[in-house]
Amino acid sequence: MDDQKRNMIVRLHEIFTMGSDLPDELDMESPDVKDFLDTLSEDRRIAFLTSAKDPDVRKMSVGFNRAFANYWERLCLAKEQGKKTVFIPFNCSPEIFYALDLMPLGVETLNTMGLNVEEGLHEYLDLAIERGLPDTMCSAQRGVVGMLEAGVLDMPDFLVNGALGGCDPNSKIFEYISQKFNIPAIYLDVPFYHDQRALDYYTVEYKKIVTALEEVSGNKLDEDRLREVCELSNEATELFMEIQELKRHVPNPVPNYYNTIHNATKLTMVGTSDAVDIFQKALDVSKERLKKGAHVLPEEKIRFMMMYTGLYFGGNIHLWLEEEMGATYLLDMLVSNDHNPIIDTSTMDTMLGGLAEGMLNLPMTRQLKGAWDMPANWLEDLLYYADTYKADCLVFTGHTACKQAWGIYRLVADEIKKQLGIPTLRLEGDGWDSRITSMAVIKEQISDFFETLQ
Amino acid sequence: MKPLAKLASISKTLKNEVVTDWINQGKKVVGYVCTYMPEEILLAADILPYRITGKGARDTSLADAYLTRVNCSFARCCLEQGFRGEYDFLEGSVWVNGCDHIRRCYDNWNAKIPRPFMYMLPVPHMFSPEGRQWYKEEVVKFKDAVEAHFNVNITSEKLSEACKIYNETRRLLRKLYDLRASDAPPFTGAEASIILSAGFVMPKTEYNRLLGSLLNEAEKKSKAPQEKVRLLMTGSLMDDSEFVENVEDMGAIVVTDALCFGARYFWDRVAENGDPFEALVDRYYTHVPCPRMAGEYPTRRDFILNQIERAQVKGVILQHIKFCDLHGTDNAMLKMDLEKKGIASIELEREYGPLGDAGRVRTRVQAFLEKIGG
Repeated sequence: MDDQKRNMIVRLHEIFTMGSDLPDELDMESPDVKDFLDTLSEDRRIAFLTSAKDPDVRKMSVGFNRAFANYWERLCLAKEQGKKTVFIPFNCSPEIFYALDLMPLGVETLNTMGLNVEEGLHEYLDLAIERGLPDTMCSAQRGVVGMLEAGVLDMPDFLVNGALGGCDPNSKIFEYISQKFNIPAIYLDVPFYHDQRALDYYTVEYKKIVTALEEVSGNKLDEDRLREVCELSNEATELFMEIQELKRHVPNPVPNYYNTIHNATKLTMVGTSDAVDIFQKALDVSKERLKKGAHVLPEEKIRFMMMYTGLYFGGNIHLWLEEEMGATYLLDMLVSNDHNPIIDTSTMDTMLGGLAEGMLNLPMTRQLKGAWDMPANWLEDLLYYADTYKADCLVFTGHTACKQAWGIYRLVADEIKKQLGIPTLRLEGDGWDSRITSMAVIKEQISDFFETLQ
Repeated sequence: MKPLAKLASISKTLKNEVVTDWINQGKKVVGYVCTYMPEEILLAADILPYRITGKGARDTSLADAYLTRVNCSFARCCLEQGFRGEYDFLEGSVWVNGCDHIRRCYDNWNAKIPRPFMYMLPVPHMFSPEGRQWYKEEVVKFKDAVEAHFNVNITSEKLSEACKIYNETRRLLRKLYDLRASDAPPFTGAEASIILSAGFVMPKTEYNRLLGSLLNEAEKKSKAPQEKVRLLMTGSLMDDSEFVENVEDMGAIVVTDALCFGARYFWDRVAENGDPFEALVDRYYTHVPCPRMAGEYPTRRDFILNQIERAQVKGVILQHIKFCDLHGTDNAMLKMDLEKKGIASIELEREYGPLGDAGRVRTRVQAFLEKIGG
């Protein structure tokens, strides 16, 4: 069968399985490694080769690949095992689905991981538009719509969206998927404010989602199972908080590549032991690097953070930043989980409340739902992160679909300059679609910007 | 001056003669942008609610420095007019988190050109008892803020009176739409757009008087049925009579719509029995939903299908302003559903105001009308 017509999850499972079967210490000339590289898209081949160069990154990615191989396998087997699948956006935490014995699939995660198997996912990005979706909709989800259109992805049993108020394209695309493919959708309303009243409202809405999920799945939420998931979630939180602490060191001992691992794991596996293992390994590696005085190469010249989304194509941006720019990629806003609460596991009610609070503090929901200068919004968080992690500068990737961020970029950038004296660079392009602004152009602009700082 | 000419004159400029008269009486004008803002609260405080648009903007050079090229041209034109001082006659403005573009317009407006009374009224994105309660609390806070800032007391009686005035507007606009739905519509879609536009920028009592006269005149005039292709227009905000005229010049007539500047604005009335405040909250929360309300697409689609039936519509214009993802996506879904029902439709992506491309629109509409037998 033409590879492009095969199921995307099956192909991801194959790639991650091959990746995870490779030995921890790699011989780049071995047939296994060469076979594996042949399965990857060009971007991802570059990414793999560059990440494999650094033994510390390699150590982190081994466990990550193994966990993801398991994850894709569980998705492949879900139907056979009578397990229902749910499509969720990146601001929807996975714990509750695991507690309900459902399989969550983050639309943006699939879209990003899909870049491993097909260069650029252009066919799917375009197919979604050809079949009716406006071309201004976000490429982070559009590829998945294209995969559904192309029949290379099984329809999920239902959809859950929690992006209302934080991002119009994100919430709207779920309504589109629901209508077009006749899949039931459940929505979680997000309040404009970020205070106790908002949390109370959101918690009630969150509990309604749980009830709705119980109804549509026929699975009853079990308190002990929920506690088990919440405890694993808390373990993961404690570990990545420790990693965040390490990032405060100058120079930063945490490899840039960790941000990718953090993002994918947090969105997909938190609430499982796999997530705990991944963060534990990342912490061990980073601690060891701190002890050895290892950091970005050849020296940490610049500490920067992305103001909102990162760049998800091109393969080697993290390593390029390290090796050629001497730049520490501290974080992007999608990796900004410093306000993630530890869940009180005393009762069913405290656990659901804790999960709801965690969701309300997830990236985008927290920062982009209200006014730019309200408490716990974009400006306040950027000031906190830039100051806490000692950023020298900020970069706005200018992902086209993020109209809510574009619309206040200038206000935010001016205020950060005023309060912290830190400059920002505004790029224009697309985080997933490499055809809008090429990685070569992006690198050139970043490089020019960094030069102005030195 | 005849009623239609008077309304056209009022709708033409931002600070029109009626607004000037109002201000000269020592009274305040407060702007708003979204139909989820209960105007009756302002009227009950003897304040003129005035709908902010980007009308008259020649370009968006000032606004583009803040709202960028990926933000919709309606929001940019509104901000441009704000930056240029065209809205300096407003005592303030009330905004709703209607969509990503307009809430960012508020952020920039509030940061750069604030007026004494700036207010954000957040509305839930779903229908639910909790959402209704949230919205009610927000409307209470809004009422309190108006009372505090303008040193007024909004009593139940004043609110009831305001609701009655607005309901009369709604009744008259329904009548206008009944006439438009008839075999011989006395108004073109472009004229209807002018009539509607005027209503957003003048006191409703005066508007009701003019609109009543206009409709009485229209009812008396006998008109022969028209051979033009009957269209429904839906999608993004549309206050541009020239755009409608451009479409109609191709041999069509827009006989109804599902716009927030049209039918969706007035279709539902405030209940006049019971507590006026509760009735107001119910009406504004549950009125024909904007695409911002999640999961409510079937309600919007059914509203459009009803409009199509009652106005004997032959084709549907699904227009949206570029980067308006809410309407753009709704239109994509509508296109599919209309097709299933055998109703012809065309999707038009457009720019608002001075950025519009009339020639391209004409070409596409012409082809559409030819296809459906216009």
